[in-house]
This record gives sequence, structure tokens and C-alpha cells, in this order.
Amino acid sequence: MITLKAYLFISLVLFVTGLVVMLSRKNIIAILLGIELILNAAALNFVAYSKYTAANLDGHIFALFIIVIAAAEAAVGLAIVIRFFQVKESVHIDEASDLREELTR
Amino acid sequence: MNYTIATIAPIFLLPFFAFVINCVFIKKIPKIVPWISIAGIVGAFFYASAIFMDFFSVYNTDYYIHKVFNWIDISHGENIFKIDLGVYIDNMTAVMLLMVTGVASLIHIFSSWYMKGDVRWERFFLYLSLFTSAMLGLVLSDNLLSVFMFWEVMGFCSYSLIGFYFEKEEAGNASLKAFMTTRVGDVFFLLGILAIWSVVGSVDFPSIYAAIADGAFTGKTVFGMSLATFSAFCIFCGTIGKSAQFPLQVWLPDAMMGPTPCSALIHAATMVAAGVYLSLRAYPLIFVGELNLFIAYIGGITAFGAATIAIIQKDLKAVLAYSTISQLGYMVLGIGVGSYNAAFMHLITHAIFKACLFLAAGSVIHSYHAKYMTEMGGLRKKLPYTWIAMWCCTLAIAGVPFFSGFVSKDRILGDALYMMVYSGIGAYSIPAILGFIGAFLTPFYMFRMMFLTFHGKNRNKEKYDHCHKEHLKWNQNVPLLILSVFTLGVFFCGSMTGQGIIKVAHQKLEWFKVLVEAPVGDGLNKFKSYTKQGFSNVDTRENTAMESSLYDSHYHTGFAGEGFDHKNEQAHHDLHHAHVEGAVASVVIVIFSILLAFAMYIFGWMNPNFFYNKLGFWVKAIKNKYFFDWFYVDIVIKKGLLRLNRFLSWFDSGIYDRYAIDGWATINRYIFKASHWFDRVVVDSIAVDGTAVGTQIFSLVTKSIQSGYIQKYIIALVGAIVVISMFLGF
Repeated sequence: MITLKAYLFISLVLFVTGLVVMLSRKNIIAILLGIELILNAAALNFVAYSKYTAANLDGHIFALFIIVIAAAEAAVGLAIVIRFFQVKESVHIDEASDLREELTR
Repeated sequence: MNYTIATIAPIFLLPFFAFVINCVFIKKIPKIVPWISIAGIVGAFFYASAIFMDFFSVYNTDYYIHKVFNWIDISHGENIFKIDLGVYIDNMTAVMLLMVTGVASLIHIFSSWYMKGDVRWERFFLYLSLFTSAMLGLVLSDNLLSVFMFWEVMGFCSYSLIGFYFEKEEAGNASLKAFMTTRVGDVFFLLGILAIWSVVGSVDFPSIYAAIADGAFTGKTVFGMSLATFSAFCIFCGTIGKSAQFPLQVWLPDAMMGPTPCSALIHAATMVAAGVYLSLRAYPLIFVGELNLFIAYIGGITAFGAATIAIIQKDLKAVLAYSTISQLGYMVLGIGVGSYNAAFMHLITHAIFKACLFLAAGSVIHSYHAKYMTEMGGLRKKLPYTWIAMWCCTLAIAGVPFFSGFVSKDRILGDALYMMVYSGIGAYSIPAILGFIGAFLTPFYMFRMMFLTFHGKNRNKEKYDHCHKEHLKWNQNVPLLILSVFTLGVFFCGSMTGQGIIKVAHQKLEWFKVLVEAPVGDGLNKFKSYTKQGFSNVDTRENTAMESSLYDSHYHTGFAGEGFDHKNEQAHHDLHHAHVEGAVASVVIVIFSILLAFAMYIFGWMNPNFFYNKLGFWVKAIKNKYFFDWFYVDIVIKKGLLRLNRFLSWFDSGIYDRYAIDGWATINRYIFKASHWFDRVVVDSIAVDGTAVGTQIFSLVTKSIQSGYIQKYIIALVGAIVVISMFLGF
């Protein structure tokens, strides 16, 4: 019997992995991958809670929404990365700091 | 034979994998593409033969296999949403699989000769493989949903095959026409699926049959008609579109724009057969919905109308195209008058001889480099093998005794005659009479085609001299000869004539009549006790063998309408009579028709042009295909839809833009003027500038943390979440 905790644990592992990837990697594409992991962790949580606690299909439907949003997000994100690369000729995340506040004044 | 996914799935998967592999190889190694396609379909043929031999050896009407796997299941408690896919094989499926794979194999082999060196000829095999696999998937499907999916794949493939020479504008238009016309029927088909779903709760055939046997359809109405009638009508509309029946027949003659082997595939084994096959599958629904008379009318009108058009065609392929529509009309007429078995038999026999006719026509056109019969004549000396094959098929389609077309068509006509007599020369008379007139016209136009093409004097010396004498080639005329062997009636009906005149030694020769039983009346009983859960992986081989009395050829399937109890002695007797009289009548009709063809085109006793000039309006109507193209294009599209568009465009620019949009703009302009003053004086000078000063002071504090490094922001975010959740949670 697989308990709810098992699902939540896997979800936690996924979430933390994604978070660590987001924080530690400097490659924008890797960061996007980290975001995908976090989204999947959330989707897994929805499905798991729907299976064990709620007696309806809401969680499943949210999971489907998350999958669709993740796909859209990946498409938009990668498009941004491509444009970014055309401008900066690099996918280093710290290059994306043009909007910082110059502390000159 | 043990049925698992490994013995059933390859029938569909081998051609499909051939398609996928060809997609990879088409640019790199185009030479092997035809071979992969041929290997795929021939492999499928062997698997289909194994299944057929198994069903033939079991020899039980009730034998069927239903394997189900779960596709989508997100049911939770009371909320059930579950879609199963699966295969449903009964005797009809087994015969159909054998026919489709066999005919398609020969068409593939023929194509390797016909298309060689043509533009994009590798791509042609790609489409052929996908087309065949879709058809096989459709035949194997156990539910209407996957039938619909494969149905649409076939629609797409026919679109690309008809428009194969897309450099020609007519080909492009023809493919579009085929696609759009069949789409009209498909919309209704989808509606029908939903209607069935609303009653049965699933769309697989055994469930539908079980629901019908349990009377789930009784008393339910929609739009003021019975739900069974509505759903049967919608499903039949799919057949009308796909099988080119009366109001939507316009696409099929134009489909000739594609290469000839694809015409053979579309018009014989796959596309048009799928429509009739669907109606046969939905036959219990048609029976319960009492749609028989409507279907009989559609079939009779189609059979008659298309036959009249075929008489004056000059294009070799056009004659065959109209004869296809006409023969499909016979199948539908058969469904209408309740001769389920004969309609299916005609589907099979027609598939074989029409495939052969189209391939032979392709052989003629490709060897002779002309498509109009006015340029041909006397070709039998140049193309002897094609000539023999084409004669066999012509005799079969004409309904000459001892050939397959006679066996099947005659039984349909016999049943139509029976229904006509039974209804007291009433409602069923017109379809039956139209059917018999069509049976008179069929031999005439087919013999005319043969005489103009192969006999008499040649009418274009240059092309005749240029045409080489045909040699026996494995991929040109051998497929034709193989197909023409199967135009003999003995393969389908041991007694040859279908009437039991010649007693045969082994009664299993009557296999076709015995095995394929209409799922109505007694045929539905096997489904009665099943529930949905009991369906998965049903194999009914364990049932007892059939009683030997059922091996008799006069074991008849259900008949249309209430009270057509075939166990009733009198009804059975009448039926037998009608069949004998129908057979005699159709033989006489065929003889007269053939004599007329001889008189006109061989002996020259009558001049065809004389009739052509005399029957002015009739010929004009036939020449314009009964004004259907004119009606659809000039009236419906140009006068109707385009005028509607023009009106809507005028409404949009004249009314909506001018008054609603422009008027609203004028009002807004005054509002803007007022708000502009308010904006400048109150908002800008007091609120905005005042806030700006405040913000500037505040920003000096906050901008120091705007480092621009995204990951630092994330750390801050996560840290904030952790801190807040500690306060909230603990």
C-alpha cells in the first residue's frame, strides 16, 4: 500500500531538486529545467491529494492544466532564451542583469 | 490458435511500421521504400490469413473475439470517465481482413510497376501504407471512436492520394472536393457516436449490441424522433459521405485525378468499403431504428443514377468510377432490404473485381499512354493478359452466372424483389425496380467499355504502333490474373448460382452465407447476458459447435421490418420463390443487355450516336451528372455561401463599423476631452508629481537591493517564504 506520504516525499524531493537546480546553475536552460521539476512536483501533489482525500477529479484536472501550462512556459521560456542568446551571445544567467539599478546617484 | 496482442496487432502495425520506417528512409534511401511497403502489407496478409483460417476451421456463427485494453481511466468513485480500445473479430472481420490485406498487397505490387519513375513515387508508397494500415485498424476496431479516428486518417490519405499530382489544378481541386464532401457525412457520424454514447455509455460494438438486445433504445426520443432512428441516421450519413451515396456522390468521379493504383485502393478495398462496413456494423441499430426504407431508397437511387451516367463516359476510368458508385448503391440497397449477408458478400466480391478492373485500366493507360476510349480499340492483341483479366471482372460485375458478382448482386436483387412483393408492391417497389434497371445498365456499360477498349478497329494508329506488346510481368499483369481468378463464384458460394441448382459435395462451401450472420434477432442473443465488465478478453471458441443442419445454404439471416420471421414457413417459402424469380429475371436482363451491347458496338446494327442525339434532355442531364456539381458549386457555394458572405461583409462595414464603432468613437472623443483636463490638472500636478517626490525619496532606500542577479532574488523569495511559513505554521 502506497501511502500519501510516499507521494509527498517524492514531490518534496522533486521540488527541492528543482529549487537547487534553479539556485545553483548559471545556465538559463538548466534553470528552465529546474522550473519544470518544480511544476511536476506541484502536479504530483495535486494528483496525490486528489487520490487520497478529495472524492472528485479536481486534482486531476489541475494536473492536466499544469502540464499544459508547463508546455506553454517551456515554449515561451525557450523563445526568450533564443532571443537572449542572439543579443548577448551567451546563456549565462548573470548576463541578464541589465535592469539592475545602477547605484550611481 | 491463441489470440494475443502479438497475433492480432501486426495486421495493423506492419503496414503502419512500414509507413514510419519509410518516413525515415524516403530521403536517404528512396529505392527501398516500395519494398518496405510491400513487405509490410504482405506480412499483414499472412497474419490475416492465419486468423481467417482459424475462424474457418472453427466454423461457428457465434464465434467472436473481443480483446480490450484500457486507454483512459480517470474514474473516481461515482464519477466514471473511462475509454477502452480494443479489437473485435467476428467472422465478418476475418473475411474483411483477408480481403483488405490480399487486395492491398496486390495493389502495392502493381504500384511498384505503375508508379516506377513517376514524380514523388516513393511518397506514393508512404501514403499507401498509411492508408492500408488505417483501413485495417478500422476493420479491427471494436468501438466507434477508434473507427472514427481511422476513418479520418483515411480521409486524410485519400486527400493526399487524390491530389498526388498537385501540380495540376484539377487534382488539387478534386482532393479538396473529396475531403470537404466526406466531411459533411463525418459531422453526422460524430453526432451519431455521441447519441449512442448518451444511451449505452460506451461505444464498443458488443456493448451497443447488448444494449439493443436489452432494449435500451426503446422509448428514448430526440428532436421528436426515436433516438435509435436518429443515431442510425447519423451513422448512415457517414456511410453516405464515405461510400459516395446519392446526395454526396460528387467527390468519387473526381477522385480519378489520383494515380490509378490509388483509385483501385480507394474504390475497392478501403475507403468506400469502410462506409458500407460501418453500416453493416451498425446494422442492428438501423434495424431497431427502422431506417431500412430510407436506406433502400438511397441505395436504389444511387445504383440507378450512377449506372446511367456511366453509359456515356469516354474516359476509361470514369466508367469504372461510376460503376463503383452504382455497385455501392447495390450494397446499400442490400442493407436497406435486409440482406445483410448478401450486402457484405457484394462488398467483398466487388472489392476484388473492381480492384482488378482499376489495375487493368491502369495497365492499359500506362502502356497505351491515353485515357480516352475514343482513342483506343483493338488493344487485345497488344495487351492479352490485361484483356483476359478485364474480361473476367467484366463478366463478374455484369452479373453473368458462375461469376462472383452474380452470386452477390443476384441475392440482393432477390431480397429486394421479396421486399417489394411482401410490401404489396408498395414502398419497397421503387428501390427494387431501380435496382433491376441498374442491373440492366451494368452489363451494357461494362461491355461497351470492353468493346471500345479492346475490340473493333483501333482509332489512333500512332499510339497503337508505339505501344509494345505485353509480356507476363510479376508486378504488372500477375496481380491482375490472381485477382481475376477470385472473380469466380465458386469461392464464395458452392452452388455457384446462389440458388442451389447444383448440389455440392461439401456443405462448408456455403461458408459465406452461413458464417456471416446479421446481428439482429437470434444473432443478438449471444450478447444479451453480457455486462460491460464481462467483455474484456472474450473468446467464444468454447461455445458448442454449430448444429449440422445450420450448414445448409438456406439458413437465412434476418429480414427488415417487423414480422419478417424467417422461421415462418410461408415467409421462407416466399423468400425462396423471390430468389428463384429474381435470379431468372436478372439472368434474362443480363442477356438482353449484353445483346444490346453487341448490337451497338460489335455488329453495328444500331448506331449509339442515334440514341445520343435523340434523347436530348436525358443525355444533357446525364452529361452534367444530373446537375449535382452545378448545384453544389454554382447554387450552394457561389449563390448561397458567397452571397451570404457578401451580405455579412456589407453588414460588417456598412452597419457595424459605421454606426456602432464610429459612433462610439465620437462619444469617446468628448469623454476624452473632459478627462484630459481632469488628468492634467488634478492627477498630474497634484497626485502624480506629489507621489513621485515621495517615491524618489523612498527609492533611495530600496534600490540598493536591486542587484539584477536573478538567483539572488530567488534566494530572497525562498527565504521570505520560509520565514513567513515559520511564523504561520509553528
